[in-house]
Amino acid sequence: MPTLSRMKNLFRNVFAKHRADRDLDDEVRGYADMLAEEKVRAGMNPEEARRSARLELGGVEQVKENVREVRAGAWLDSLFQDLRYGARMLRKNPGFTAVAVLTLALGIGANTAIFTLTYAVILKSLPVPNPQRLVRYTFRSGTQDLGLSGPLYDALLKHEQATQDLLAWSSSTFTVQEDNAPTEVNGALMSGNGFRVLELQPSLGRTFGEADDQTAGGPNGYQALLCYAYWREHFHASPSVLGQSLNINGKAVTIAGVLPRGFEGLVVGQRTEIVLPLAFEEILYPAHPRHLPGSFWLTVVGRLKPGQSLRTAQANLLATQNSVRDEGDPSHEMLSGYFAAFQIGVESARSGRSFLRITYARPLIVLEILVGLVLLLCCANSALLILARVSSRLREFAVRSALGAPRRRLFRQVMIEIALLAFCGLVAGIVLGWAGAKSLVAMLAAIGQPPPLDAAPQAAVLAFTAGTGVLAALAAGAWPAIRACRVAPILGLKEGSTGTTSKALGGWIVPLQVAVSVVLVAAASLLGTSFFHLLLEDSGFRSENAILAEVEFDANKATDAVATRDAQEIVDTLANSSGVDSAAVMSTPPLHGWFTVSHYYSLDHNGGIHTDMQTWAETVSADYFPAIGTPVLTGRGFNHGDLSNARVCVLSASAASYFFPSQQAVGRFVYSGGTDSTLDGKATPSPQDTCQVIGVAADARFESLRESAQRAIYLVIPQKELRSDFFVVVRSRNTRLATAAIREAVHKVVPGATEPTAFTFNELLAAHLRQERMLMALSACFAGVALLLTALGLYGLLSRSVVVRTKEIGLRLALGAQPRDALALVLWQGLRLVVIGSVFGLIAASGAVKLLRSLLLGSQPDKPLLLITAVAALFIVALAASSIPAWRATKVDPMVALRHE
Amino acid sequence: MTPGHSSDQANDQTKLLQGTLDMMILKSLALDQMHGLGISRRIEQLTKGTFQVKPGSLFPALHRMEEEGWLVSSWGESENNRRAKYYRLTKAGRRQLNSETQRWGRISLAIARALEAS
Repeated sequence: MPTLSRMKNLFRNVFAKHRADRDLDDEVRGYADMLAEEKVRAGMNPEEARRSARLELGGVEQVKENVREVRAGAWLDSLFQDLRYGARMLRKNPGFTAVAVLTLALGIGANTAIFTLTYAVILKSLPVPNPQRLVRYTFRSGTQDLGLSGPLYDALLKHEQATQDLLAWSSSTFTVQEDNAPTEVNGALMSGNGFRVLELQPSLGRTFGEADDQTAGGPNGYQALLCYAYWREHFHASPSVLGQSLNINGKAVTIAGVLPRGFEGLVVGQRTEIVLPLAFEEILYPAHPRHLPGSFWLTVVGRLKPGQSLRTAQANLLATQNSVRDEGDPSHEMLSGYFAAFQIGVESARSGRSFLRITYARPLIVLEILVGLVLLLCCANSALLILARVSSRLREFAVRSALGAPRRRLFRQVMIEIALLAFCGLVAGIVLGWAGAKSLVAMLAAIGQPPPLDAAPQAAVLAFTAGTGVLAALAAGAWPAIRACRVAPILGLKEGSTGTTSKALGGWIVPLQVAVSVVLVAAASLLGTSFFHLLLEDSGFRSENAILAEVEFDANKATDAVATRDAQEIVDTLANSSGVDSAAVMSTPPLHGWFTVSHYYSLDHNGGIHTDMQTWAETVSADYFPAIGTPVLTGRGFNHGDLSNARVCVLSASAASYFFPSQQAVGRFVYSGGTDSTLDGKATPSPQDTCQVIGVAADARFESLRESAQRAIYLVIPQKELRSDFFVVVRSRNTRLATAAIREAVHKVVPGATEPTAFTFNELLAAHLRQERMLMALSACFAGVALLLTALGLYGLLSRSVVVRTKEIGLRLALGAQPRDALALVLWQGLRLVVIGSVFGLIAASGAVKLLRSLLLGSQPDKPLLLITAVAALFIVALAASSIPAWRATKVDPMVALRHE
Repeated sequence: MTPGHSSDQANDQTKLLQGTLDMMILKSLALDQMHGLGISRRIEQLTKGTFQVKPGSLFPALHRMEEEGWLVSSWGESENNRRAKYYRLTKAGRRQLNSETQRWGRISLAIARALEAS
């Protein structure tokens, strides 16, 4: 019953508001009249009685307002009223609204973009049930994260106790025959138990199991699973794909099912499109059997048994590690180099395996901090803007308050206007953020590759953004709103009073902005200088005019001997092509994130044995040094006479000084493989394992510009054979001509080969430094925004201050002050704020620079110049922002200012 | 009477009113329907002038109680032939009055005992 009556009342109050209001008016006035009559009866004269009754009533309007507030739906009604009023106020001030919305949108958008990336790279869980129960076995050394080899996987399957089962996953590239054209597709192989371990159900058809993971894929041939996006794009989401046949790497496979939406494989950044059973490796890698101990091609993931945890799995691994290692390298030789540097470990696989995470986790933390500061700045600026609006409306608030508006109503009015602004900012921010995230993800892509991540807005990201928006609105609006409702009603009645002081205008916000800007500018200049530092770093290669191309033969047909012969032929063809200065091949490209180590030892003059298990072995052709531009320091490079004679090699400078400390390396011997025990046992190393050093070349950074150079040994074809994929390097002043020449040569020598992808060394360098470049570009953007916002804030504050102080300035001018005094007055006001802000900014920035160094760059000498640059930039910008209001102050007409009184 | 003393007394009145205004209104309407001023006068009379209900709190209370379903109102003629809004208890209002009266009895008894004990 009460609910019904309440509903009825709500309906009346909201929809029949006018009648309800008239009734209320009649009722209250009737009361007043009756009260007056009562007083007349008691002997008062009618005039006085009415006055006294009104007084006792305390204002008809106020009583009515009090009643309205207790009515059902009153809040709704007044909320609509405030919303309408707020929208009207914002429409009336389009300039203010646009700047405020844009400022908020910028802050929210930047945060959304960075968070989208952080979420996709670090936080997002695999879309499988209970992903937090998944663990992954790793083979790591520092940031190097190799997969496991076949033997290591088998050994783990045998010894490992913590998980129910272990799956093996291997990302690869499939060549799918589509409409008679070969297309490269991101594929993956997975062991037959995989879907059981992941507990992944298909969205169509079936998954595959152990029965499908055997030679030739079982009696019905290989069963393929399509990932959702691939199914939609290539098969128009048609259910009739089930049972259809696909030609993958020359083998017919049957489509058995479609995987659920969102599942893109176990490796973040590799968006898998087709999954095949692990047994398909016999088609994919015929020349490299699965059980090669030195091939780390598997991602191994398991689901913890009930009662087990990551900790128990780690303890379990520690206990069994030795047997796993033993069985992982039965010969105890091949992997001794790896086992010296790499550790088997187990870690959470909640969010899958991610190479991006290793590279970008720390940069993203840094970016989150920087972008948080940008948001703080945007909020500060919005607060300044809103405060200015509130200050100019203080009279309005005072009048409303005098007319009986309760304080909380004024507070709410201001908050509603801010909420409207924040909402517009939020919508614009989401759009901006989405676009930003897309271009950021594109920046992460490798050369010629599609974006590695899905940057589409996710629920978690939207929730984060909405939270950011609310936080921004509160931060920007709370203080101005409190100011508004604290206004004294009397202010509304005083003519000409603005009641505005510098403090009330938010004078403390500008120093905050300055401090934050100093931090951002310092961070940007630090990241910028370290980027250019890396760019100018001597890589050991001559980057200009160098063009590289990856050449890949069908491993089915090309044995190492054939590949080596073809490579030589390609180089010979290229050497005679027009526009090519020199040409060579190399087994492993520079700065490409590849990793290869070999085991070498030497016997120096004094009989000392020097063993290195981590020598970078590069197989090259004769003209390699002129082609890549690495200078030969002593001795000579390879020449065509070396091709048939006794085995020779070139050492890098660091390898030479390692194997032959303070001795001449040229002419001496290094030995590969085996162990140094052969030397102790006086046995002579076999001729294949022996090579004579003919020269020493400068150090070259094969792995990364961020690391010091590896010790490298160069061997020459055909003394040492290449595998079926290698790189061609050409020195040429005409990139287009050289690229065409490479294509032509490859096609001429190996008619069926895939089109080689060519890129210049500078492109390689850019891709290698994309992490640093992204950090530099973003932090520079942030710093620019920071300076702009600070300038806007200071400009706005001083402009208003000049308006407020017009009278004062006019008076001063009338009393004999010079215009330059007025100029100094305003400039000094601005400068003081900047000085205060800079002091705090410097303290914060020196901390921030330390933090950045520890997170990203490793220890470097302090550069006080960075901080000085940041502060100087701030002062220049502040001076520019102050000069316009200051100039305006000099133009104050004393007469006008005085007449205003 | 000093001004300070007078304002203290006013505070006492409001504090009392906040807890008991609803009950007083219900009580004043127990016998017959009444308009706003009548209710106000009736409360004064019932409490021998201790409570003076101002329209600023009376009308919000009346409208709130009407929305709760304890009162119904209708327009009628006053003693002096004026149009006035009359309030009347509903069944729910009468139940509310009973439970409020009982509650109040319990509270005042408890407080009286507590004060005696010390």
